[in-house]
Amino acid sequence: MNNSAAGSSGDKNWGLVLVVPACAVLFILFVVFTLATSDEPTVAQPLEPSWFTPTTARGEDLQNKVMVGSCYLCHAYWTGLPDPDVVRPQFAHSAIQLDHGANDRCYNCHLIQDRNKYTANDGSGIMHTNVEQLCARCHGLIYNDWVAGTHGVQRGQWMTPTAFERQNFKCTHCHDPHAPAFKFEKYTPPPVWPEQIERQRAEAPPPSEKTE
Amino acid sequence: MEKGQKPDRKLNRRDFIAGMAVTLAAAGAGAAALSPLIRAEEIPPLEDVLQKHYQRLTPEEKKAIFARLEKRILATHGVQATIRDPQPLENAHFAYALNIGRCIGCRKCVYACMKENNLSRDPQIQYIRVLKMKKQGHGIDLESAVHDYPQEEAGDKNYYYMPVQCQQCENPPCVKVCPVKATWREEDGIVVIDYNWCIGCRYCQAACPYHARRFNFAKPRVPGAELNPNMGYLSNRPRFMGVMEKCTFCLHRTRTGRYPACLEVCPTGARKFGDMSDPDSEIRRIVDKERVYVLKQDLGTVPRFYYVFAK
Repeated sequence: MNNSAAGSSGDKNWGLVLVVPACAVLFILFVVFTLATSDEPTVAQPLEPSWFTPTTARGEDLQNKVMVGSCYLCHAYWTGLPDPDVVRPQFAHSAIQLDHGANDRCYNCHLIQDRNKYTANDGSGIMHTNVEQLCARCHGLIYNDWVAGTHGVQRGQWMTPTAFERQNFKCTHCHDPHAPAFKFEKYTPPPVWPEQIERQRAEAPPPSEKTE
Repeated sequence: MEKGQKPDRKLNRRDFIAGMAVTLAAAGAGAAALSPLIRAEEIPPLEDVLQKHYQRLTPEEKKAIFARLEKRILATHGVQATIRDPQPLENAHFAYALNIGRCIGCRKCVYACMKENNLSRDPQIQYIRVLKMKKQGHGIDLESAVHDYPQEEAGDKNYYYMPVQCQQCENPPCVKVCPVKATWREEDGIVVIDYNWCIGCRYCQAACPYHARRFNFAKPRVPGAELNPNMGYLSNRPRFMGVMEKCTFCLHRTRTGRYPACLEVCPTGARKFGDMSDPDSEIRRIVDKERVYVLKQDLGTVPRFYYVFAK
């Protein structure tokens, strides 16, 4: 203190000129910080419901389906027996794009006599609620997997697998029977990472083995 | 001091002002240095600090703790939550299978998990990380895999998409390294964390070969409207800042017989969950009959998460 007093005996007391404003600034900072820490409510970006809502691949498709109701509305009276050479269906069915591999005839699956039903191996009909039996005619292995539960979507209870507590989906909930390749295009955004570890080598060539 | 001035005065004006200035500066600097403490996002209440380890709690203590937590959740999020503590099932051994041939990388499981487990939205935390890697040439090559591909790149037929989450190892390295035993493996095979006991040292994060553990660097933020009120004490109750968390196979769901959230949301049916000790379960059938492998088998962690190659 003696030193500073001696040093400050000049024209101006530089120590004080620096220290007093600095301390004032610190004090103001402290007050501001203290006042600014009120309880702020949790504000965060909500997730979009479509990102986490369970859907099946054809959920919307089935909802917007054009052909509903009884096929007898037309097929009982106005339309005759089909021409077996016609691959592309006409009139009301012209929107159908058939892409089912070698299975390119309508009446492989649809029953000629009764259009509300599908064809079984013995020529009898399969009701729409049992559509998996139609698919099982060709895709037997996958049908076995589906029965055992290893193919397809399941929801609900795993522990008490009675028929009512387990939501099981049929083939046509996910596969369009006319174009059965699996399609699902509702993707969700990537994670938000700190900037340091953002994507660097997305398509980086694999190291050194590319010579062949 | 020069002669002629007042010699009896012990403290002159100049020294007084300087002394006051220095004192004030010291006080101001000290206050400024301590001000982050006032801004601390989370200071645990005394009850939380004095709480015992989960495995030593009696049922009555648990009940009191759950009631306290529910009250706090109502205050912070405005949601009446119910915290349960489902115990491990008798003779159950949970396992998970994921069909890489079917996964399209849509990442719906990631967001369903965030929703179900009340994961922090603002500093974003996700348990599941979907790796994308080329099919041709390298097969499952984690070195060339990408985990933050944009959403337009999902569903590409030339790539495998491999979601990685906690593998619930039978020989978990994360449990071995924990210095305070805040994480342990339950009877049914699920590795859990006591969020109140965790000290946040992150040893387990370093030890996990699957990068399955996440650390709350900031106070986790979940909007009250999105909070899942069905909570498990060891799984999805709101976490604190500075603790680890991880996938628990949604134990509040699976121990009551329901499927995990990531499985329910999967549109492809690539994910299968079940009890390995049940010979009729689908998971048992997959492990018996399909081509199954586990990630980083050579490390000897014995994961209960199987990856399947099948159409």
